[in-house]
Amino acid sequence: MGLPNDSGDLSSQMDVDAFRRLFPLRFHERHIAESIRPDARPLGRARDTTIALGAVASANGSALAKIGSTAMLAAIKMEVMSPSKDSPDEGCIAIDFHMPPICSPIVRPGRPAEAAPVVSKQLSDTISSSGMIDLKELSLVSGKAAWMVYLDVYCLDADGALFDAALLSAVAALSHLHVPAVALNDDGKIVLMAEDDGQKLANAPVNKDKRKLTLRSIPYSLTCILHKNYILADPTAEEESIMETLVTVVLDSSSQLISLYKPGGPVLAYTSAIQDCVALTRQRVKELQAILDEANSGMEVD
Amino acid sequence: MAGKGGTTPTTYSPSPTTQKTKALIFKENDVDWVRPDGRDFHQCRPAFFRTGAVNAASGSAYAEFGNTKVIVSVFGPRESKKAMVYSDIGRLNCNVSYTTFATPVRGQGSDEKEFTSMLHKALEGAIMVETFPKTTVDVFALVLESGGSDLPVVISCASLALADAGIMMYDLVTSVSVSCLGKNLVIDPVLEEESYQDGSLMITCMPSRYEVTQLTVTGEWSTAKINEGMQLCLDASAKLVKIMRSCLKEVVTASQD
Repeated sequence: MGLPNDSGDLSSQMDVDAFRRLFPLRFHERHIAESIRPDARPLGRARDTTIALGAVASANGSALAKIGSTAMLAAIKMEVMSPSKDSPDEGCIAIDFHMPPICSPIVRPGRPAEAAPVVSKQLSDTISSSGMIDLKELSLVSGKAAWMVYLDVYCLDADGALFDAALLSAVAALSHLHVPAVALNDDGKIVLMAEDDGQKLANAPVNKDKRKLTLRSIPYSLTCILHKNYILADPTAEEESIMETLVTVVLDSSSQLISLYKPGGPVLAYTSAIQDCVALTRQRVKELQAILDEANSGMEVD
Repeated sequence: MAGKGGTTPTTYSPSPTTQKTKALIFKENDVDWVRPDGRDFHQCRPAFFRTGAVNAASGSAYAEFGNTKVIVSVFGPRESKKAMVYSDIGRLNCNVSYTTFATPVRGQGSDEKEFTSMLHKALEGAIMVETFPKTTVDVFALVLESGGSDLPVVISCASLALADAGIMMYDLVTSVSVSCLGKNLVIDPVLEEESYQDGSLMITCMPSRYEVTQLTVTGEWSTAKINEGMQLCLDASAKLVKIMRSCLKEVVTASQD
């Protein structure tokens, strides 16, 4: 491993894997002191990130996002609802985050993971407060019908930074969303227009020019671990379990702060540390923007 | 944000405009109809397998047959639940679930409970449970997208995930189903064909031992039809196991390079 062997340190007499399991904190601290992490990343670097759009054929929009080995599958199904009386011109978005038992050894069927409802709430708060989607765009017939957007995010593989990956897959799925063309039939129900129907229909489509949502200011996030004076960006599950103080910063595409979570933890953060986290997130937003743009431009060619 | 005003409004997914009941994909006494995806009656969908889909698991596999996409993760052998009594042999625990977007209409993945027990029964005969006494092996499946023949795909994929996890088995387990539509038998049916079927037959077997671990028949079948259907399934299983085996070999040769 090329680490200096201090005298009296067990690590000189021990197998690396055994040392990692028995003294996880010391194992990681010795790496951090050398400004490197066990997976060979510098402290401030996030893992390789990929986005694949349109992974679910039966959905109106979908995306598979991977950050390192953390994998999230987000898919959108559009349904029709009657808007509430207070907001007759607005649709609705329901966001749900699921951790099925396949994703991690700690989740068992019937006993949902503790993290799932937390991430679920963070996701819907972030997406609604970012103002990314104009709910008025989801209106079909004022006071009568509007879109209900069901956005479900499934964690397929949990290896840390779950919220970051979930948010990325959610915004990617929204950017991939194709709103189906619909018409109002004689019974006052919304029906699908057949894609390549030669025959003229009596009813004109009600959403002719609303086939793609306009996404204003897309939110991106980065989770960092605070440990002593060090900041580790984009932690793995192992790092999260050993060093417990997490800070998640959410910025939009124009680097405006949308939200900041620091859910407790043994390390009290100085403002300078928070500023460093925000700076790291700002860099990360540029990376993520490029990755999402590339995924979207790849779709347009097809 | 969904719960605006406290209650979630009732929603429906817009149905196609063409209200006339969709024409049957085949007509009675007609032998010349075409399957929705243009396959021959006795031709399976192209199968794709990949092991190691989930890093957090001891072993895992992803399978894709047309639009049917499933992931299976295997955990363990690990400590059994505290409430379990002492057991000389290992335990097998299975679970099958659907994503909310797996089916054409949201949240209709129905047969989860039934599939969970059928997956358990299909696999238990093939696993050498005496090799992991006192512990449990968990086999969890998630159907990402349901495109027909879901259970057979889950079972085949699960046996590949078990092999990836290094759990001892007598042989790989493969599963194939046929649907009876009028006078014809169609193999590896898609969702649309399953909804029109008059009967179905599913065989789960260990191809190299020529042993059947599970056989389910629903609907009305003549003995001759059952024989024909079983032979079709067994032949397809022999081909399917070759694909699964080559998938396992690929991983080994890739890691050796």
